[in-house]
Amino acid sequence: MSLLRKGQQWGTFACVWHIFDATWQDPFKSAHLIKKYLMGLHKPIYHPLNQCGDHVIVINSKEIALRGDHWQKRVYFHHTGYHGGATWTLAWELHSKDPTMIIKKAIYSAMDGTLQRRFTMQRLHIFPDDNVPKEMLENVSNQIKQLRPVPNRLYEIPQEERDKIPRLIQYPSDYQLK
Amino acid sequence: MVFLTAQLFVRSRGPDEFWRKRQIFKLAAHYIGRKRNCYSIAIKNVHRALLKTTRGRQLKKQDMRELWETRLNGATHEHNISLRILLEGLNRCNILLNRKSLANLAIWEPRTFKCLSDIACAKAKLGGIKRVANNSMPETVMIKGLVDELD
Repeated sequence: MSLLRKGQQWGTFACVWHIFDATWQDPFKSAHLIKKYLMGLHKPIYHPLNQCGDHVIVINSKEIALRGDHWQKRVYFHHTGYHGGATWTLAWELHSKDPTMIIKKAIYSAMDGTLQRRFTMQRLHIFPDDNVPKEMLENVSNQIKQLRPVPNRLYEIPQEERDKIPRLIQYPSDYQLK
Repeated sequence: MVFLTAQLFVRSRGPDEFWRKRQIFKLAAHYIGRKRNCYSIAIKNVHRALLKTTRGRQLKKQDMRELWETRLNGATHEHNISLRILLEGLNRCNILLNRKSLANLAIWEPRTFKCLSDIACAKAKLGGIKRVANNSMPETVMIKGLVDELD
């Protein structure tokens, strides 16, 4: 095998590290995006039995956003196996206990329940904030695009710029704002 | 054979029992335990196996097609189009490649595959497919001959 072909072989089967910023992202929708990179579905050499998946680092998992009232209504079920060992944990409770758990479970359940799933999950690294170990960050060569842009909040815009925003209506001087 | 009476018809049924069973045992030769030694158990398993091979012939084709589609999906998304656009564009250009050869091209000839996806993208854009409206027109494609004739 010539040196060129050797390089091609290396390039084809190389394991790429991706990074994904979970700030203000829906974990259940981004799970389907991250799953593709973890399983190697984005490569033309994909085969369910060969190991062609990549590593994904998810940062800022503390800042995820759930749709509607899912923080209050989404329930995580766990059973210890003993009698009366069932527990139901609300999403906000789970998130306050472990801010990486919701996105981890979302990605786990987005994949099919094959024997490969647990090994695929080992290639996923989730961090509640942006403190990623340096040796991990050195490997990263691609950033996965967020599903939706992080919106600007009004209070984050400085006052001078806020004043420049054109006003559609002028409230009467005696109008009571809440 | 000529059957003069009903009695003779019953007696002359099929080949000899030993040879009839031997046919089945030959098919069950690689089974384990009583499945290969006892006829009544062997024939049940042989029947099941034959049914499964019949089904398996179709399943194999379906599985391969699914694999090629998954691979092509990954390959086309690298070039910002989807598998549907690729197939539609190539069909409209009268480039009649099947999924198997497209997937092989994507693995072994990535640059050829990129050209094909560019052609498909350009054709789809000229055909007014909304899905690729935001893609930029590939620069490597000669557009002149690609425009659909009015019909």
